[in-house]
Amino acid sequence: MNKFIILLVALVAVSACRDGETIEPSFYTCAFNFPDSSMSNPDNQQYQDLLNEIISNGVVGITMSVSKPQTGMWIGAGGMADLHNGVAMKPCNISRMGSTVKMYTAVTVMKLQEEGKLNLDDKISAYLHGDVIDKLENADKATIRQLLQHTSGIYNYIQNLVFQTASTNDLIREWKPEDLLRYAYHKSAYFAPGEDVRYSNTNYILLGMLIEAIEGKPFYDVFEEKLFLPLGLTLTSFAAKDPVPDGIVRGYIDIYSNLQVLESTYFSGWDYYTADGGLISNPYDMSRFFQALMQGQILNASSLDEMLTWQTPKDPDPEFYPIDYGLGIFKIDTPQGIAYMHSGDAIGYYANMIYFPDDSTTIVYAVNSNYGKIDQYVSTQSAIENILETVKP
Amino acid sequence: MLPDLAAPNNRKVTRKTLLFLLLAFMAQAQGFSQDRPIPVCLSLFNESTAIPFTRFFTTPVHPGMQIGTEFDYSVKPHSRWFQTANLSYFYHSYLTQGIGINTELGYEYRMTGGFAVAGLFGLGYMHTFATTEEFTFSGGQYEKKTDKGNARLFPSLSFDIGYYLQGAEPYSPKIFLRYQAWAEYPYSPDFIPVLTHINLHAGVKFFIHKSSGNHE
Repeated sequence: MNKFIILLVALVAVSACRDGETIEPSFYTCAFNFPDSSMSNPDNQQYQDLLNEIISNGVVGITMSVSKPQTGMWIGAGGMADLHNGVAMKPCNISRMGSTVKMYTAVTVMKLQEEGKLNLDDKISAYLHGDVIDKLENADKATIRQLLQHTSGIYNYIQNLVFQTASTNDLIREWKPEDLLRYAYHKSAYFAPGEDVRYSNTNYILLGMLIEAIEGKPFYDVFEEKLFLPLGLTLTSFAAKDPVPDGIVRGYIDIYSNLQVLESTYFSGWDYYTADGGLISNPYDMSRFFQALMQGQILNASSLDEMLTWQTPKDPDPEFYPIDYGLGIFKIDTPQGIAYMHSGDAIGYYANMIYFPDDSTTIVYAVNSNYGKIDQYVSTQSAIENILETVKP
Repeated sequence: MLPDLAAPNNRKVTRKTLLFLLLAFMAQAQGFSQDRPIPVCLSLFNESTAIPFTRFFTTPVHPGMQIGTEFDYSVKPHSRWFQTANLSYFYHSYLTQGIGINTELGYEYRMTGGFAVAGLFGLGYMHTFATTEEFTFSGGQYEKKTDKGNARLFPSLSFDIGYYLQGAEPYSPKIFLRYQAWAEYPYSPDFIPVLTHINLHAGVKFFIHKSSGNHE
């Protein structure tokens, strides 16, 4: 018995936690190809103070862009990109943007409609077959528009506790679409298609598969051809191409809700190959994308109108702004006015992009830490209000 | 709001649990004071985070080991009620490693031919440590500090199937396969209240004779 106890103690000692990678600061080198006038922006100090305040609450690092027609683009950063190597966050650093990719997915689908390759009111089952349709309740009846707007009623695989524990069990597994969809197979739909609105990542996995079925290539290649390259989004990519690309900031999770964070840079494997997550970018590129979309530079007016046609859930989330759902985009009513937005989570990362149609103010921010006590400072309604009060007083 | 074991009220809970476990272990010791062979249960197991009874064997393997003993409350020709006391350790890649003590109330039914089935309900205390580098927020910035770990309660429910190598012989060695479902509480207050796990054990029970020191 004594020998066993000694062995246990020795095991704990020997198997001490693994240290972070040693990474040279040059790994995080990045640059903008535009004349950065952030330092001379009249609100520079207020914005920087805001970032510093957010960091002072325990957020590891943050990058933010604020674009206003009268003052141009401001970009800034606070906190750390890499705690192990002591590297400070820079405004140009790239990060995981999670579900914000859904807006890119939706825009790509809208472009395919403009090209005459699909109609939003086609059933998804006209393009996809097999298990995906047979084993997902409502998939045989739902239209492309309903998937885009989360009115399909199809079960959200992420809500499945078996998936949640399985992803925790293998934190560095790289999940393929069919692996994820399996957790939604044979699950009851939330409602009949078109009856209500409920967010479901499963919808956007199907939309990624739709893009691939029509274009005959990976959906992220289509993103590149139709969005990233034409818009010059040089620091935007999709995780499937390179899950942990050079320059990506380290991610951290406050998994025990005690502001003792663990590095999670390699943990987002269910976010690599499906069109419901996996975007890697920075606030500058995302701001340019969002503004180009809203200014009619990507889609024609008719498509944009369709994107901005809203549906309201019967049971709104009581802990967040009431949300109206468009196609890959949300509308919220803030004290600063109506805003369009989409946010996104990955393991150790969070991002949010917000656009005010009244004056074209565009705010994008990304942090490299989440969960536990950190979420209240980055992703809740009060966190967003705090940012909006400073940026759009 | 979920309790934090560091909070004063919950330290009482932890102390009560530890007292209960201590009493259970003392009961074991009382049993051993009699000059009877001491049963030792030794197992290796694969730990995983999972919803109990939805998975059996999972990958990647997160290794663990457990040593324990048993004390009989009542023994009948084909069945017995017993109490266990165990010490265990597991290592879950990229997430956590834990060292725990627990005790279980068990019921075993021995069939003819040496086969036996058992069910066990347990409660224990576990201390877990991160297996990935951890940074603590202190004085407005993150610093690498010594990981003092996290206190957990861990209730468990186990079922096992075993085979007594010497049939009906009371001190026969036994090999067993045990499915243990357990929960880690509190896991992450206001975020993940409880994290459930399963351990799949492959083990052996043997007896140590106090007088001779021989192992059967």
